[in-house]
Amino acid sequence: MIGNEIVIGNGTVGGTAMLPGGCLCGGVRFLATERPMGVVNCHCGQCRRFHGHVGAYITVPRDTVFFDADATLAWYRSSAKAERGFCSRCGSSLFWKGDGNPLVDIAAGSLDQPTGLATLRHIHVADKGDYYDIDDVVERFPAEAPEPP
Amino acid sequence: MTEMTAKVERVWTGGCACGGVRYEITTQPSPISFCHCGQCRRQHSHVGAYTTFPRDALRVVKDETLTWYRSSERARRGFCSRCGAGLFWEADGGPNVDVTAGSLDEPTGLRADRHIWIDFKEDYYDLPDDGLLRRASTEPDNETKTES
Repeated sequence: MIGNEIVIGNGTVGGTAMLPGGCLCGGVRFLATERPMGVVNCHCGQCRRFHGHVGAYITVPRDTVFFDADATLAWYRSSAKAERGFCSRCGSSLFWKGDGNPLVDIAAGSLDQPTGLATLRHIHVADKGDYYDIDDVVERFPAEAPEPP
Repeated sequence: MTEMTAKVERVWTGGCACGGVRYEITTQPSPISFCHCGQCRRQHSHVGAYTTFPRDALRVVKDETLTWYRSSERARRGFCSRCGAGLFWEADGGPNVDVTAGSLDEPTGLRADRHIWIDFKEDYYDLPDDGLLRRASTEPDNETKTES
């Protein structure tokens, strides 16, 4: 995004600096103050049940996300090592957080437009649903993506 | 064999992640449509994916955590209040109910056939070159369609 670039800390960040977002009914509103690398699409069975289709997430440090409203935010222990956050009033599927992990994943569709973000990769494609193909040119991984260098 | 018995080939099953909601579909569900509207994007927090079929073919066999949210003046959305899974979309007085593709037990044997409300698509993804029908909200065939 030209003409709307700012510099935060040690790097140039394109587009709008912060990422506000929330659920469909407004019971959960937040501000992500650190821009992520981009969006990762997750095809695992848990994401597809939770979101009703593929999950799409950004990952940011937990301590950079601030809530304006969280009265309807509920958490569900979706596995032995993680919880998923959703709105108990409108059912919006919002967050994934691993136990003891300083990061949190925020579902990209909950972000206000425009995000200025792009999709980086598909993960857990070995578990994808049978009703669709992955037809784009974005990088694919059978399970987790390797850690960035 | 009558035509009626010959048509019933299988029952589709599905539900939420925690098992609080389980359902059966007793008719052939439609192909899946990907909905890019703002409400689907907020509630599913990405693209919505739905099949549709006549409402009386949906049998909710477990509903202890099923919750409905009135998402617009003419429709409501059903989800699991315990695990947050998005499940149903239902227009007031309409003959059909829409069920999320991701909540169906695999294999579904279904295929996607269209992208709808593409004029409301978010900026962080591109529509893939997948050969599926594409319809804006202002165009005909902009809804999930039963096979006819």
